[in-house]
Amino acid sequence: MRVINLSFILLAVLSTGFAVSAVETKGLVQVNYVFADGQPSWFENGTGILAYSDSGINVQQALVEVSDSYSNGISFSIIANYYQRGEQNLGISQAQLRYKPLMGGKVRWRARAGFFYPKISLENVDLGWLSPYTYTQSAINSWIGEELRNPGLEFTLYSPGRARRSAYSWEITGGVFKGNDPTGTILSWRGFALHDRQSLNNDRIPFAPYPTVLDEQQVFHPNYVEPFHEFDGHLGFYLGAHLDYFQKVKFRYYYYDNQADPKAISFERLYAWRTKFHSFGLQHNINKNLRFISQWMTGTTTMGLRAVFVNYDAWFAMFSYKLDRHRLSARYDGFKVREDDFMPNDLNNSNGKALTLAWRYNLNKAWQVGVEQHFNQNFAANRATLLEPTEIDQQQSLAVLQYRW
Amino acid sequence: MFIRMSFAILWLFSSAIYAKEQTVKIVDSAGKGHPNVVIYFEPKQASTTISDIAPAIMDQIDTQFVPHILAVQKNSMVQFPNSDSIKHHVYSFSAAKTFELQLYKDFKADPLLFANEGVVELGCNVHDWMLGYIFVVDTPYFGKTNAKGEWVIDLPEGDYSLKVWSPLIQDNLESLTKEVSISETSSTLVINLAKPMLQNLHQYEQVDEFSDYE
Repeated sequence: MRVINLSFILLAVLSTGFAVSAVETKGLVQVNYVFADGQPSWFENGTGILAYSDSGINVQQALVEVSDSYSNGISFSIIANYYQRGEQNLGISQAQLRYKPLMGGKVRWRARAGFFYPKISLENVDLGWLSPYTYTQSAINSWIGEELRNPGLEFTLYSPGRARRSAYSWEITGGVFKGNDPTGTILSWRGFALHDRQSLNNDRIPFAPYPTVLDEQQVFHPNYVEPFHEFDGHLGFYLGAHLDYFQKVKFRYYYYDNQADPKAISFERLYAWRTKFHSFGLQHNINKNLRFISQWMTGTTTMGLRAVFVNYDAWFAMFSYKLDRHRLSARYDGFKVREDDFMPNDLNNSNGKALTLAWRYNLNKAWQVGVEQHFNQNFAANRATLLEPTEIDQQQSLAVLQYRW
Repeated sequence: MFIRMSFAILWLFSSAIYAKEQTVKIVDSAGKGHPNVVIYFEPKQASTTISDIAPAIMDQIDTQFVPHILAVQKNSMVQFPNSDSIKHHVYSFSAAKTFELQLYKDFKADPLLFANEGVVELGCNVHDWMLGYIFVVDTPYFGKTNAKGEWVIDLPEGDYSLKVWSPLIQDNLESLTKEVSISETSSTLVINLAKPMLQNLHQYEQVDEFSDYE
């Protein structure tokens, strides 16, 4: 709700007092037919780590981006999404006001404010923070889309290489934010998952009713998280560094720390989780057709008086090959969550590996068809508390029709 | 560009006597020719004014300025179309022409007048890798070298200052200026660069299909 209010204020400010402008509207809709493996997903309070429980036709993505820019260097964009899956079906996934003053020189600056993603991901570079490569995104960026957003400010110093007659461009960026206190919850109980469902501004992510989580004598927490709440008043921050060699090689490092007080708790009994991580991303455009993208994240999160403490690692490596109107992508994911806390009954260990293969074909500028096959093997210790096998193999096949304008 | 220049020359010298063609070469110390170097002859005789001709074009194609270097005569109009399906924000802080132009998708901006001689360095505030140049000269006799580092022009008889410009030339440009007298014979004029040209960072023109640039 706060974000929607902010959006209206931005619109009101921007609609007055500026010269030439042209509001741009872009959109994208994906409709799929999914062959699911029948394993209930977290949306159905199950323990599967794929988004779909049942086979059938779905609206996979539906989003509209409204943006405008002004000659003084100010621009804004708002992205509204409809999701068939999940608790909040209609809402805002990003709303930001950017200021990039017109300036020469070798080192320049820009800033943005609003509700947006830090530029951690080299995978999510399509409209609406989607991936142009696969439909089912990496474990790392599926989680970022679920639990991480920056309701705050970001300041960036950057140096375009061409302005220095250099092959290298760099950026240093820093952000401060509020409203990410529960970030880390879903990793600690459900673990990593692979999907393309971004949380919306006021969203709630359900998960399985693990007895130790619900039990008043144990964790006493609902089996959901609302990731964008603020409980403790602390400012979180992140720092990032980008280094590009022409546009051929891109490296990104980010350090994120929400600085949450792990003892803070809401009336809903949602906790603030102190979540920190390092993320390293690399892209190499090997030639005009073939690219390699990889990312590694390592971090920790804790809640209460070390009632839950986990460290987590996830990585992926992806090759994507473009031939004329075809794009073929193959990604391997590995992910792991390990606990080291004072509540041994509440099981948090999970891990898995996954292979995602996708073919996407542009019929024209507006229409695209594609298919994807996904396999994973994953383990979650807390499935035992629901009398389920801890290790499962999952598969998912998608056929997707996409329209963009 | 060449069509425009040809019109200018036709207009100017419809009653003049032409000399045979003049060839200008730009070579470095290794004897290698260099392309995309602006060459211009400034006449010593009465100066010429520009005719009423179509604006020159500095396009944006695949998030690049096309051409990378555009030479125009002083008081030319330059149109900045946007052939991309995304917006650009073109600017220059150069003394010869300071401006900014929002080029929205499918938006046709009015052409701009370039009334001062000199270098106009162009950038785009959306796409930081974009770089282009408009070089404004006070003569109708100008052009750019081809892949071999050569440029050919028919010039009327007279005395001229032959000058060159490229953002990659490290030599003092004044030292490269030649005073030439054109007669009714063909000639080849060679400009030798003492210092190597700066590296052409043309790899910036290999733009990634996907990026998180807004």
